Amino acid sequence: MTGPVFTRRRLLGGAAAISALTLAPWRSRSAPSRAPVLSGAEFQLEIGAEPLNITGRPVTGTGINGQIPAPILRWREGDTVALAVTNRLSEPSSIHWHGVRTPSPMDGVPGLSFHGIAPGETFVYRFPVRQSGTYWYHSHSAFQEQTGVYGPIVIVPRGGYAEAFDRDYVVMLSDWTDDNPGRIVSNLKFQSDYYNYAQRTLGGFVADAQRRGLAETVADRLEWGKMRMSPTDILDVSGAPYTYLINGQPPGRNWTALFRLGERVRLRFINGSSMSIFDVRIEGLPMIVVQADGNDVVPVTVDEFRISVAETYDVIVQPMAERAYTIFAQAEDRTGYARGSLASQAGMAAAIPPMDPRPMRTMADMGMAGMEHGEMPRMELSPEGKRLEAKVGVDNVAMMPTERLDRAGEGFPSSRRVLSYADLRAIRPGSDPRPASRDITLHLTGNMQRFMWGFDGKKFSEAEPILLQRGERVRFVLINDSMMEHPIHLHGLWSELESGHGEYRPYKHTINVKPGEQLSYLVTADEPGRWAYHCHLLYHMEMGMFREVRVA
Amino acid sequence: MSASRTSPLAAVLAAFATAAAAQISDARDGPMPGVPSDAAPPVMDRGIFAHAILNELEGRFNGGNPEFRWEGQGWVGTDYDKLWIKSEGTLQSNGALDDGQQQFLYARAMTTYFDVQGGLRSDIDSRPTRNWAAFGIQGVAPYFFDIEVTGYASGEGHLAAKLEGSYDLLITQRLILQPQIEINLYSKADPARLIGAGFSDIDTGLRLRYEFDRKFAPYIGVVYEGKLGQTASLARQAGESTGDVRFVLGVRVWF
Amino acid sequence: MIVRLYRSLLIGLVPIAFSACASPEPASAEQELAVPLGVDLGGSGPVAAPVAPAQGEPAYSEHLDQTQMAHAGANDAHGTGTVNSVDPAQHKVNLSHAPIPEIGWPAMTMEFPVAPSVDLKAIKPGIRVNFTIEQQPGGMYEIKVITPAGGGR
Repeated sequence: MTGPVFTRRRLLGGAAAISALTLAPWRSRSAPSRAPVLSGAEFQLEIGAEPLNITGRPVTGTGINGQIPAPILRWREGDTVALAVTNRLSEPSSIHWHGVRTPSPMDGVPGLSFHGIAPGETFVYRFPVRQSGTYWYHSHSAFQEQTGVYGPIVIVPRGGYAEAFDRDYVVMLSDWTDDNPGRIVSNLKFQSDYYNYAQRTLGGFVADAQRRGLAETVADRLEWGKMRMSPTDILDVSGAPYTYLINGQPPGRNWTALFRLGERVRLRFINGSSMSIFDVRIEGLPMIVVQADGNDVVPVTVDEFRISVAETYDVIVQPMAERAYTIFAQAEDRTGYARGSLASQAGMAAAIPPMDPRPMRTMADMGMAGMEHGEMPRMELSPEGKRLEAKVGVDNVAMMPTERLDRAGEGFPSSRRVLSYADLRAIRPGSDPRPASRDITLHLTGNMQRFMWGFDGKKFSEAEPILLQRGERVRFVLINDSMMEHPIHLHGLWSELESGHGEYRPYKHTINVKPGEQLSYLVTADEPGRWAYHCHLLYHMEMGMFREVRVA
Repeated sequence: MSASRTSPLAAVLAAFATAAAAQISDARDGPMPGVPSDAAPPVMDRGIFAHAILNELEGRFNGGNPEFRWEGQGWVGTDYDKLWIKSEGTLQSNGALDDGQQQFLYARAMTTYFDVQGGLRSDIDSRPTRNWAAFGIQGVAPYFFDIEVTGYASGEGHLAAKLEGSYDLLITQRLILQPQIEINLYSKADPARLIGAGFSDIDTGLRLRYEFDRKFAPYIGVVYEGKLGQTASLARQAGESTGDVRFVLGVRVWF
Repeated sequence: MIVRLYRSLLIGLVPIAFSACASPEPASAEQELAVPLGVDLGGSGPVAAPVAPAQGEPAYSEHLDQTQMAHAGANDAHGTGTVNSVDPAQHKVNLSHAPIPEIGWPAMTMEFPVAPSVDLKAIKPGIRVNFTIEQQPGGMYEIKVITPAGGGR
């Protein structure tokens, strides 16, 4: 009697052979690539602790595949991408694809899209790519975006580019601090001007009095003091703890993009910072803005643009000399800058221009345009406005909010052409020609003293979701009652900014509302799900400036 | 659902299965995908913070008997609800502890700039202990004056009040001049504690601090400790001074 | 005693030897390499449309009309491919298709929305299909007609 053909040894041997065949490719897949650019349709990303040294002090941050910023993901419009994200941190993590329209479960917001990625877990994002342009990705968990989990996304258009260029560089701006972000927020809770080392002093009073006269200076100080506001509040976190980075490099390292004479260079500017608004220019080189937030705009030539947190601008430049040009991104409060070079040879550097004077907030920023020093009789707030102002979370309600989309903001010399939202005009008309069926008005509010931020005086935990019907077309009207800019980001749906160009509204994902400003944008609720809607200043978002927009 | 460390194959397979299952169930679970509302929220905006500050931690010198004084407060809580502790006291050079007022309060944010506080005050020092119920407000008044106004009631029906205020004048970004004042008043005299009825004492000073760090600022200054009205009479009777100007040297710290 | 002398001499020489080995060669070439360089993602390749003129010029609106007319002319394109997956809830199919010379597309794998009136019952993963696509105002191509090509794989 013959026994079974497969002896136990042969069976085990066979099993070993089979598992060796199947395990081998898996093993190579489980080691993430350290390349700075990842292309294709399948990706392995690993979020982990990352030792780094930006300021001269060795510290530990959080990165992806051993890099800060994370690798550039290069996708093709029309592909379906699969990204296996493994969390090697000791706390939950997540990745959100900023500006990329995905089905809601793939949007990466813990508590709304999914449960987050637990330590040790791998989550596979899979979605079709239905758009092209420059975007970025970052963690949506705790303060990981501040400690290094952010990176660029470049989506190649299916039909080719509308603008010719010879070289293509990502320029990702960010802010880095060696301090613990939780500590930063705690400091702001006790002393909200903790990081403001440009406050009004006795010396400033004397200088103003000499310039404008004693009476006017005293009246000005009393006016701001009565409101318990300071016109020197520009950014909550300044260059005191921050070092500003360009593609992860501090200014001294001189990150360089090379070009050859006569070439057209495309620069994809991404503001991947947590709390910093940058004013970007290239000394000696005008820039042609061709895309905003990943969408084509009618090309407009500018000398400088202000890029708020989470926005992107693609520009094309054509250097005319074989030299270095300084790429200069100064923080809006002029406490520091990110700096790189566009050069014909590695190692070249041009002079770094001095920073512009620090802007000051005006009465227009307080929503009281035209009312200087109480010359005009003070208007009264509506009963609704008074109720809002009485809330603990609100320190000001704009009396007369103004639409100033044609103004770039404060702090620019008049000699430079600066981009404003009114300059953004889409190349193609919008895909949804319907007018809005209703308006949803939201006040952007905050209490600087208590460092509380919210919508309509309420934090996220105090508010109800905003409910939209599937397919509905609505208008969001935002009124910024606070005296700081807020970049407002709606996940999952396009925000069509009403910038005065009729149906050629620019499609944006992040809209920067200036202090005391009122603006509006149209949204088609064409993707169901629970979408995050929040100010993209990270510490504002974590303090409550967050809402759920539910499309059912 | 979390991956085991021993098998990357199992981990990746499990992850693919999870993601695939999530997609299938979303298509079947009705029109709106997403996690249920009881999942952990996307932002934790009800955080609990804790801070404490010593506004005065100083030696007081008048060429005779130096004193050591502290005055500080701390709180723990959320944006709306906090528990406060306030403590002050003056240590005399003969070892006696004077003006030892300790308060334990619950505070509720009432308006944009003011909290309402209520709780307990205990006068614990070298003199007989007194306990009071406390009720008051604390916050930032227009023109950036920090003020605290608290009323007290003892078990015997005595009333008291304390008014405190201070202002930070920036000479430079780090050199700050701070005038400060504290006034106490009582409805009834308390001879055992050398306190008379009416306005009883005033402690006011002008301090110039240099902020090496926001949280650490040494200072110099001048203070006036004065006793008023009936309290002054009681003090004179006991052989104590009724008004004292002292030079101070100290450090202002917080965490 | 002599040994002691030599020993102290050797001990004295050791730190000098270390510092000589440890100090790097100054090299100006290394400084240039130390500058972090950006990764060039490449050029645009041949462009789909000519560069639009600057904002505010009347020529812009003419150009836009031309572009729109061009799209109106290239309405329908035809292709063949293999179905990878079907999403009945979102009414989309994912295809791997052959080059479509009418609109200058190479062979690609991509997802298409399908016109609401089209019945997707017969469309299953793995089958070969013939299809007609039309460009929508937003730029996306939508499937107007899709039929099994007959015969299996």
